[in-house]
Amino acid sequence: MNLLKKLSLWIGFAIALLVLPRFFDSILATSILNQMAIAIIFALSYNMLLGQGGMLSFGHAVYFGLGGFMAVHALSMIEFETAYFSVTLIPLIGGLFGLAAGIFIGSFSTRKAGTVFAMITLGLGELVAASSLILVDFFGGEEGVSADRTFGPEFFGVDFAQSIEIYYLAAAWVFITTVLMYLFTQTPSGRMANAVRDNPERAEFIGYSARKVRFISFCASGFFAGVAGGLFALNYEIVTEENLNAATSGRVLLMAYIGGLGYFIGPIIGAVVLTLMNSLLSNYTELWMLYLGIMFVLTVMFLPQGFAGFIMMHQSAWVRRRLRYLILPYLTTGIPALVFVVSSVAMLEMSHTESDVFDFLGIPFDPSGWLSWLVLAATALGPGCPVCDTPFPAPAFRCLGISKRRQAETGLRPWRYSP
Amino acid sequence: MAILSLKNVSKKFGETEIIRNVSLDIVEGEKHAIIGPNGAGKSTLFHLISGRHGVTSGTIEFKGEPIHNLSPYEITRRGLARSFQVTNIFPRLNVFENVRCALLWSMGYRYSFWTLLGRAEKLNQKARATLNEIGLADKAHYPAGQLAYAEQRALELGIAIAGGGDMVMLDEPVAGMSHSEAASAVELIRRVTEGKTLVMVEHDMGIVFDVADRITVLVYGEVIASDIPERVRANPKVQEAYLGAAKEAEENA
Amino acid sequence: MLEVFIFATLNGLVTGLLLFMLASGLTLIFSMMGVLNFAHASFYMLGAYFAFSISQYIGFWGGLLFAPVIVGFAGALVERYGLRRVHKSGHVAELIFTFGLAFLIEETVQFFWGRATQNYQSPEILNFALFTLFGQEFSAYRAFMIAISISIFIGLYYVLTRSRVGIIIQAAITHPHTVNNLGHNVPFIFCAVFGVGTALAGLAGVIAGPVLTTFPGMALVLGSIVFVIVVIGGLGSLFGAFVASLLIGLLQSYAIASNVGMPDLLNWIGVSFDRDHPLNDIWTITLPQIAPLLPFLLLVLILIFKPNGLFGKRET
Repeated sequence: MNLLKKLSLWIGFAIALLVLPRFFDSILATSILNQMAIAIIFALSYNMLLGQGGMLSFGHAVYFGLGGFMAVHALSMIEFETAYFSVTLIPLIGGLFGLAAGIFIGSFSTRKAGTVFAMITLGLGELVAASSLILVDFFGGEEGVSADRTFGPEFFGVDFAQSIEIYYLAAAWVFITTVLMYLFTQTPSGRMANAVRDNPERAEFIGYSARKVRFISFCASGFFAGVAGGLFALNYEIVTEENLNAATSGRVLLMAYIGGLGYFIGPIIGAVVLTLMNSLLSNYTELWMLYLGIMFVLTVMFLPQGFAGFIMMHQSAWVRRRLRYLILPYLTTGIPALVFVVSSVAMLEMSHTESDVFDFLGIPFDPSGWLSWLVLAATALGPGCPVCDTPFPAPAFRCLGISKRRQAETGLRPWRYSP
Repeated sequence: MAILSLKNVSKKFGETEIIRNVSLDIVEGEKHAIIGPNGAGKSTLFHLISGRHGVTSGTIEFKGEPIHNLSPYEITRRGLARSFQVTNIFPRLNVFENVRCALLWSMGYRYSFWTLLGRAEKLNQKARATLNEIGLADKAHYPAGQLAYAEQRALELGIAIAGGGDMVMLDEPVAGMSHSEAASAVELIRRVTEGKTLVMVEHDMGIVFDVADRITVLVYGEVIASDIPERVRANPKVQEAYLGAAKEAEENA
Repeated sequence: MLEVFIFATLNGLVTGLLLFMLASGLTLIFSMMGVLNFAHASFYMLGAYFAFSISQYIGFWGGLLFAPVIVGFAGALVERYGLRRVHKSGHVAELIFTFGLAFLIEETVQFFWGRATQNYQSPEILNFALFTLFGQEFSAYRAFMIAISISIFIGLYYVLTRSRVGIIIQAAITHPHTVNNLGHNVPFIFCAVFGVGTALAGLAGVIAGPVLTTFPGMALVLGSIVFVIVVIGGLGSLFGAFVASLLIGLLQSYAIASNVGMPDLLNWIGVSFDRDHPLNDIWTITLPQIAPLLPFLLLVLILIFKPNGLFGKRET
């Protein structure tokens, strides 16, 4: 892509960031957008390790949390007038502390990549999370540490009391950090990180210490994770042990992986999707984490390139202007798949409901009656079980009176589901 | 003037001695071939010299300085480049990036995260030039893992020579290539190693006798001969251990 | 003092042997496939839950008999249809898959059984004190746990080293292609070993459920420690896993039982700090407080100084 195209992409990104609140202006929407901003920076920082560097970490939340705690202490210092600087710099403080932690921990943990590295990060993550409950002075024990963000000097008349003001600050930080992280991938260190990921041995034979290359990526990702933590502190005004623990580390892994490790934009997609699931879906169903788990496992098994990878798979078709040939196959496979998913979700939700009537998409079902179950099971399995690639739909089509020959004639092949 | 000097080098893996008391001098600027039957320890010798393994005993000196227990990157930085018998490239980077990465250290970029490679004109020019030399200029944006075998071998060679080392070590550079592919590969090797020292492990006797100034014969980890081609060919020990096929190849060439 | 030591040792033994039951399955699976099964502790949890549900109908012993079998079967299915597929994408992908699986199993358990702790009881006939020492009782159930663990290990040892199947498995671990070429169905062996490994984890869950409480977070609690054990002992070494399990079990037990803390150490040196000192938290640390931390501390130290673990044969 040439320079003009790339520049216009970035300008478009900046404009989108500025303009989004116009379309989504409720308080809930602003809160979700802020969450997304934090998640985007966090997930991108994680991908510096995993997607770019090939280092699987199970303890990345350490830098996020440490950055967050430092940031919230800094906020306290502003609040109690021990220090006086603009609150807009708080994420930077988080970043610097994350960087310091990265330097310290990276000095001994980056010797190896692979399983050993993953285990070290797991152990360290648990260690830090457990320590945070013991070292109450810095980590505030079980209640965490909180502060008020409105005491700093005004920034062009803004005191950051409102959520929307935090959004614009967060958007600015998202833009800056995304640009920096992208530029990093275009530097010698960034490129060598890719090389070390692909073939650490050969990297040594072209003059680079694989360990040092990994160390630099590690420190950089710690910095940006700390920035995300600082932004979190600013947004929520409280940081707790939860922000350091394995669950948070797991969540960022999910975000980066589902979005797509191999593409720069992947973690951004993953962060957005996961934040939406977390905030919106959880209002509709208790089972959203179950769906998340299922989605994650299915992604690992069938779509290891993530959503970004899925989109990029269409690139050659797009370039050759043959996308329209994909419409029919997507319909014949997508619609049955959609029906399967919707019916399964209905069945899962119905089994969990406590009321006498289960209202799904406007249709009332009786959870205790066997008819409801039968209908849902039929709708699920009838059109096809795309995942299993079994000839389930054949009976359904036969029931509808369509013979095999007719199926072949119309070009409908209900029992092969691979677009 | 010996650019590389091995003295009494031995290497044991556990109880098994792979390299036994090898002493060898490579003269600066010469084209030196190492031959021997399979399992003789040729690749191991390469690994010892390039730093992939450490020696059990003995010393290796490059440009007068000991290198025998340094790590690969330290040795490479001193000007010793090598290629691998089993293609060892960066599969997910494209061809251009592969070569460019190989150039980074020698062009002084170190671990910088403040230079944008897109703007580094000299670097990109040199990378393009190298690609032209190895004949992969039109495949510059292919992911390296998707190249055909011979192209991957060419890339392998490109990565090895890109850094501009004074001594280039090639481990079976034409293995698995057809006759014509091998011929053009040898041409390429000759071209890019002009003025440099070349140490090559090869099985194809035609190529060996064609290219080499001196030949070392390694059998069961021991050097049984190290001399100019005519004398090596005439050496009875070598003939008995290894060279029966060589005369035919040479006659057919 | 002595009774504290004896009971701490016995409890440490119970924990250690239980941990080894988990760690041995994990080591076998790692040796065979090179993948560290993140979901191993999840199968442990499934064992406890299945046994609980089964025991509602046919009692504890029914659960003991059937639950491990069901879990092993589930594990074999996971290997056959899940792991095998992901295997070709590399080790990182496998780790991520098993991580996702652990997450999914936890959510599934919550879906079917809810989030509350289940009232999974140990069987009536073992609810007595085996012996009483210095006024403290040692329950027969714990002795039963020790007995089961030890008999499983002896059985495992004999099967692996003395039986034909065991020899084939040992060979398939290091040279799967050769064993395949000799005519053995290596994919089936992999599937079976995975199944047996998870069945062992399930069995651990069955007997530990009543003691360590059966709740959806139980996999998380033990999971990380089992990893620590396997890595400390040395990836791929059963003996290392055994030593490390006992080490960690006893270490934690002693740490919790002791009342030693930083203040004692400081007093011994002759230093003391007042309450307002900024690092007060550190100066007042007691051993029981950091007991949960100890395995991870040990893990990090070992990985720095001896990345192969205590008895490890291979790194990744």
